[in-house]
Amino acid sequence: MDAILNQIFAGLSMASILLMIALGLAIIYGAMGVINLAHGEFVMLGAYAAWAIQTYTGMSIIMALPFVFVAVALVGWLIEKIIVQRLYHRPLDTILATWGIGIILQQTVRLLVGAESRFVKGPEFLSGNTQIGGLIMSNYRLFVIFFSLAVLAGTWALMTRTEFGMKLRAVIQNRQISECYGIEAKNIYSVTFAYGAGLAGIAGALITPLFSTIPTMGTGLVVDAFLVVIVGGLGSILGAASAAVLIGEATALFSMLFNDTLGRIAVLAGIIVLIRFRPRGLFPSNTRR
Amino acid sequence: MTSRLFYDLVALVIFALVIVLGVPAIMGFDGFELNTFARYLALAIVSLALALSWGGAGLLNLGQAATFGMGSYAMAMHLKLKASGDGLPDFMGWNNVPELPLLWVPFQSLAFTLLAGLMIPAFVGGLIAIFMFRARIAGVFVAIITLAFLVAFQLVVIEQQGITGGQNGLTGLAPLSLPGWTVDTYGVGFYYLVAGCLMVAITLGIFITHSKFGLILKAIREDADRTRFFGYNVANYQTVIFCISAALAGWAGMLYTLVLEFASPTYMSVSFSLAIVIWCAVGGRESVLAAAIGAILVNMLEGRLSDVFVEGWNLILGVIFVLVVMFMPRGLHGLIGSGWQIITGKAGKPGMRPVDTGAAALPAKSAQER
Repeated sequence: MDAILNQIFAGLSMASILLMIALGLAIIYGAMGVINLAHGEFVMLGAYAAWAIQTYTGMSIIMALPFVFVAVALVGWLIEKIIVQRLYHRPLDTILATWGIGIILQQTVRLLVGAESRFVKGPEFLSGNTQIGGLIMSNYRLFVIFFSLAVLAGTWALMTRTEFGMKLRAVIQNRQISECYGIEAKNIYSVTFAYGAGLAGIAGALITPLFSTIPTMGTGLVVDAFLVVIVGGLGSILGAASAAVLIGEATALFSMLFNDTLGRIAVLAGIIVLIRFRPRGLFPSNTRR
Repeated sequence: MTSRLFYDLVALVIFALVIVLGVPAIMGFDGFELNTFARYLALAIVSLALALSWGGAGLLNLGQAATFGMGSYAMAMHLKLKASGDGLPDFMGWNNVPELPLLWVPFQSLAFTLLAGLMIPAFVGGLIAIFMFRARIAGVFVAIITLAFLVAFQLVVIEQQGITGGQNGLTGLAPLSLPGWTVDTYGVGFYYLVAGCLMVAITLGIFITHSKFGLILKAIREDADRTRFFGYNVANYQTVIFCISAALAGWAGMLYTLVLEFASPTYMSVSFSLAIVIWCAVGGRESVLAAAIGAILVNMLEGRLSDVFVEGWNLILGVIFVLVVMFMPRGLHGLIGSGWQIITGKAGKPGMRPVDTGAAALPAKSAQER
């Protein structure tokens, strides 16, 4: 029983990380139909930004989060302005271009910082575990779970309660008509892309104490995050959240029943079948595309 | 249409002359150099295989490396058995495999191996294709499903150490012995074997592109629904081209194992699969010959540049790729095509339409925007 509870917690922890990565991806995909394969590299940039801030200023990663967000969002904004913006009418080509951008970012970091793994210290006050019966939960992982929920709530509020969110939703529904009403769709796209990149950066900074920080760390994550977006339904934030929990828990469950590799294979197979029968995801949004 | 076929055939003849006569002469018939070039030729086959499904039918298969890997493992299994003589392959001993797994037994036969290297990828590709296309999956979802399949398949191969050699792959292979000829990988004869395979593959590709079958695939790429309304069974056409593409990839994989003398799970990695897409995009996805040349050029460039910039090579590749996608969506082939039009003053001639934009993935949206 304890083993199952601990596994459920491990699944939730994984889901919280997936959720933060997938949220940015879901917004970018939902808003502009861009499959951003460079998203994993934004995560990696966030991790390295956290490492750099901690190494050179001694700041804790929690304190560094706003700076990481701004830095990675800026990179995302530049990439959107220079490259992605020219490809909106060629959705398949954005897969290729963003993958090329991913290579460039990864290699740049490798050349500048080096390929060896970097160590980032977790915050002191979150070290240790919380124990309830046989269930042992790392405080830091608990913090990440709650933080991801806060990010989810914040994003939801941004999308539904602010003027920017309203404009974004208008552009998603019909770009031409929104432009007729004076909404600058181009700027909305740029800011959305930057926001998605910034979220990935925060996720990257938060996972530094849990994962090893290497230039290739994003590549594996982006595939998983992408599957979350597809399973959740195009552009649906709450769909992405449920899919993150579903995939995180399914991976944890299968890993316990078989082993880690077979667990991943089973989840991948499940996702393929799901896309086949529900290509618009579990919770499709009702926008006209 | 026939004039296009004529141009393609002329280009093929020139290309064949360069590959068969020019390259060996420049290399001075040096075995080592020719072996390196044979590697590029093998990769050219998998690149043109992708051009058939991606350029020809608009199906971006990001799992091409999986079928490539199946071919390469099929060949490697045969050669490993030959190298092990009557005993078990060495890595099976390390993994406590008591007797030859059932999967390996038929690979003792050369004929079966050659057939399996083509048919197993074609069969698997066909299964995935039926699975996807019967449900009218299109556009980016094809890319995502094939990518997920590739990741899962590579995991399986690494996981099943006792059968596949796991992370190490299959090494210590015997040379291939065809009836009356033991293949020397560093010989001129082997180079001509690979070059011959490439020529056959390109000819097949050109034949498919210019056949009625290829024309219907183009129609499907442009607008699957309208083709359906004409009464064509779209899923069947897509499945067949997927099978052909997978079989060609398997063929390339077999040759690749012969060139490098080992098979490794890195052949099935996501980055290798996307590298194939790069070659194809650089050359020009709409022409099989251009895709093959793209693979050869990018790999030659990689061979030269990675000696000079060991670390920075991938960065250069990334930059080239982004530039190609942004400014040359039809690759070198498209660039030459538009250059030719400017010279002959036929710019804007109908029939030279812009490259497939993937707009078919979002038909409703593109209709709105029109």
